[in-house]
Amino acid sequence: MPLEQQFTCPLPNGVHARPASALEEVVRGFNSDVILINQRTSRSANSKSILAIVGADIRHADPVVFKISGPDEKKAMAALTVFLHEKFPHCDQPLASEAKLNGTLHLPPSLLHAGAVVHRGTPVVPGIGHASIVHIGKNRIPATPLRNGLVDSKNEWLRLEAALEKLFENCDVRLSSELSGIERDLLKVHRSIARDVEFRRQLSTEILAHGRLAAEAIASAEKHFSEILAASGSELLCDRVLDIQDVCGQLLHEVYGDKAVKANAGLVADSIVAAESLTPGQFLALDRKFLKGLVLAHASATSHTVILARSFNIPTLAGVENLADINFDGQEAVVDADLGALVTGLTDAARRYYTLEKNRIEARRARLQTLSLHPATTRDCHRLEVAANIATASEAAAAFTAGAEGIGLFRTEMLFLDRESPPGEEEQLAAYREVLVAANGRPVVIRALDIGGDKKPDYLHLPPEENPFLGCRAVRIYPEFESLFRTQIRALVRASAFGKLRVMIPMIATMDEARWIREVITGEQKKCAAENIQFDPAMQVGAMIEVPSAAFLMDGLAGEFDFFSIGSNDLLQYFMAADRMNSRLAALYNPLQPAFLRLLKQIVDAAHARQKEVSLCGEMGGQARFMPLLAGLGVDKISASVPAIAGLKAELAGLTLAGCQELLEQVLTCMNAGEVSARLDEFASRHSPPLIEPELIIVDSDAATKEEAIKQAADQLFVLGRTENSGAVEEAVWQREAVYSTGFGHGFAIPHCKSNAVRFDSLVLLKPRTPIAWNSLDGRPVGVIIMLAIRETNAPLAHMKVFARLARRVMDASFRLQLEQETKPATLCKVLQESLNS
Amino acid sequence: MKLVAVTACPTGIAHTYMAAEKLEKTAKRLGHTIKVETQGAMGIENELTQADVDSADAAIIATDIALENAGRFSRIRKIEVPVQDALKDAEAIFARLKT
Repeated sequence: MPLEQQFTCPLPNGVHARPASALEEVVRGFNSDVILINQRTSRSANSKSILAIVGADIRHADPVVFKISGPDEKKAMAALTVFLHEKFPHCDQPLASEAKLNGTLHLPPSLLHAGAVVHRGTPVVPGIGHASIVHIGKNRIPATPLRNGLVDSKNEWLRLEAALEKLFENCDVRLSSELSGIERDLLKVHRSIARDVEFRRQLSTEILAHGRLAAEAIASAEKHFSEILAASGSELLCDRVLDIQDVCGQLLHEVYGDKAVKANAGLVADSIVAAESLTPGQFLALDRKFLKGLVLAHASATSHTVILARSFNIPTLAGVENLADINFDGQEAVVDADLGALVTGLTDAARRYYTLEKNRIEARRARLQTLSLHPATTRDCHRLEVAANIATASEAAAAFTAGAEGIGLFRTEMLFLDRESPPGEEEQLAAYREVLVAANGRPVVIRALDIGGDKKPDYLHLPPEENPFLGCRAVRIYPEFESLFRTQIRALVRASAFGKLRVMIPMIATMDEARWIREVITGEQKKCAAENIQFDPAMQVGAMIEVPSAAFLMDGLAGEFDFFSIGSNDLLQYFMAADRMNSRLAALYNPLQPAFLRLLKQIVDAAHARQKEVSLCGEMGGQARFMPLLAGLGVDKISASVPAIAGLKAELAGLTLAGCQELLEQVLTCMNAGEVSARLDEFASRHSPPLIEPELIIVDSDAATKEEAIKQAADQLFVLGRTENSGAVEEAVWQREAVYSTGFGHGFAIPHCKSNAVRFDSLVLLKPRTPIAWNSLDGRPVGVIIMLAIRETNAPLAHMKVFARLARRVMDASFRLQLEQETKPATLCKVLQESLNS
Repeated sequence: MKLVAVTACPTGIAHTYMAAEKLEKTAKRLGHTIKVETQGAMGIENELTQADVDSADAAIIATDIALENAGRFSRIRKIEVPVQDALKDAEAIFARLKT
């Protein structure tokens, strides 16, 4: 009699690949058969096959019964029960979703007026690519390969079985090398398909029971599983169809060699690839040197192909209408995955638009780059180190290129997870060394493994916990796995010989833990010394401050540790007793909570009182908005994700330490987060850049039309960070222009707008090389363009007075003459400032 | 002549003030006195009182949008023009007032 367990599916998205693989993982190791029956559809599935589970089409609230029978059925049932109650309801984590496009972005007038053909699409990977279109068709599996005489089914199956093993091995080999997260995920999915029980059964049945050739069996399996997944109605599952196609393609290749799969012609020149859909394998086969953009009829943010495209920064559009109907092959086109458009039938004006776009993006990037390469400093010359958070050694080089002044947090968990056994000392040493070499003398903080909680490597066989976040994590389980921990410490000690290595311990809550850590580290150092192994005896050891108790032990901890790093994510959660994943508690999980800011102050002050440095490495550090608070608190270093670094340095450069300290004092008297937020906003508005500066003056512009001139001026605002959406500013200026021309005569024009796309009130002066037709009042072309851009706000603005004054001044012929004659941006800037301030 | 005027352009940022400036300068050159109220993004400035209006010979209403407190001008002789006209050819407006 099989053991039975009734269950109702709690997952809102049903049982798709991810929860299915979690379930399969649980039952895999047991000898008993574990069958599940979806009582709504009457479909049954072998729970040891991810594909079968997914095929059972279990949706939210479906009643399911599990039947287990076999020698270890009791154990299996126990494990399954625990899993269903504790882990299963939580295994469908929200995917890191890209911001969905809410409605289509408006096309800026300069593009709309350009006369090209614009096809709207959904941007899935941002960027702009300009090249000729190349169509790519589906990877067709040959329908009827050669069949001469009788088929030796047994042999056929052996060949296929060997191919499956080979595939599985290949995945394993590649997984053990250093890979990006996306490639790992992809390989794991391929690996799990390769060893899927149901997949094998399908193939073997085709060959042994129906006498088919391997190629036919593969084609039939691909069709069978693709249909099941495609019929599921879930976007996630449809994405997996591409993965099945990939695996089947690889299997064919493994069995038949190069002849089997018709390889697509490689790219030979800059190309935009257009396809109905593309498998990850097809994508990887494209020569990325020539791949300038990707246009897909069907794709979603979660498909592996898109994820790969994103990791290689290939601008990608999906859902472009009529892609199938119209033959674009060979045509010159632009993939604009910022606006969400495929532009064909390019005119000179359209090409010119995209030249200006390129300039805009490049100028902004170069500007941030310049800022990012200098040490982060406030306006009154105070330093605040900005470092990077990384999860793998391979990210280090890119971090330094982006301007990181050090590594503030190297999370070592990635070395320990998703593998069959822990990394040995040599493997770890190699990884730590790689980061130190890339750092080239800059400090690198490596955090000891923070496992337990939600990060549990299989090989440790950690028991499930009621409450993992308040459970056995990090320093709490090191004594239980002492040799594992000592191996890491030894690797770190040895690595210290190669650079400025600092070790950091997570989840410190008591002095006993601190003392134990010290003993272990000192012990390993002594052993190295005895073995004549090089290491840095002055290697610093620090503690993460994330358990609130540590904030009240700073005096003692300062005696055991050399530095501190505030893990603001966990500290905030534990301190405000709010789960950061629970959107209903967003008001509590808010770093602007006054109590939290007071806690931070207490920590920083206590550390500084004992001459110890304090850094911050949580999400809060990566947001420029909070920079004035962190600077005011006196945090010595911020460690953030690599993309945030340039923006943080730019933000800091606009602040004075004195101003930030004043802000902090005010904020510490606030009694709720709303007040703090208001003070922060007020501070931000007072610290805006000046109305006019030399960089807002464009002399010798190559703009030839009104469209180009307005676009260039709006783009300059973007380059200087005065707007994040130059297209919206452009549109607002044209809205005013449409009422009647702003060319009021005398060769002058004064285009203007009031828009919430404008961050800081600005004045742009643009002088084209050749006067531009502006439909002016007196019919004259325009040689001096002054664009005014104002923030949308109800409050009366000082700048409005300035603009009014400017408007009056331009009616004065002698003022106009000055602007016409001066050629240097610095002088023009002065002329404007003087006349406006008088 | 003793004149009053109001200027009000669509966005209230630039042309309101440009037109005011033009009218003031032109009036001065032609030997008239003029008080110009602007209705712009900063609200109403140099506001004309009923006394100002009643004691004037004529009014120039240079607006592209609806006027605030239009009732003030119900009894005075006035010329209503788009703001652009004031910018393009202010002298012509003054000339029309003379007749």
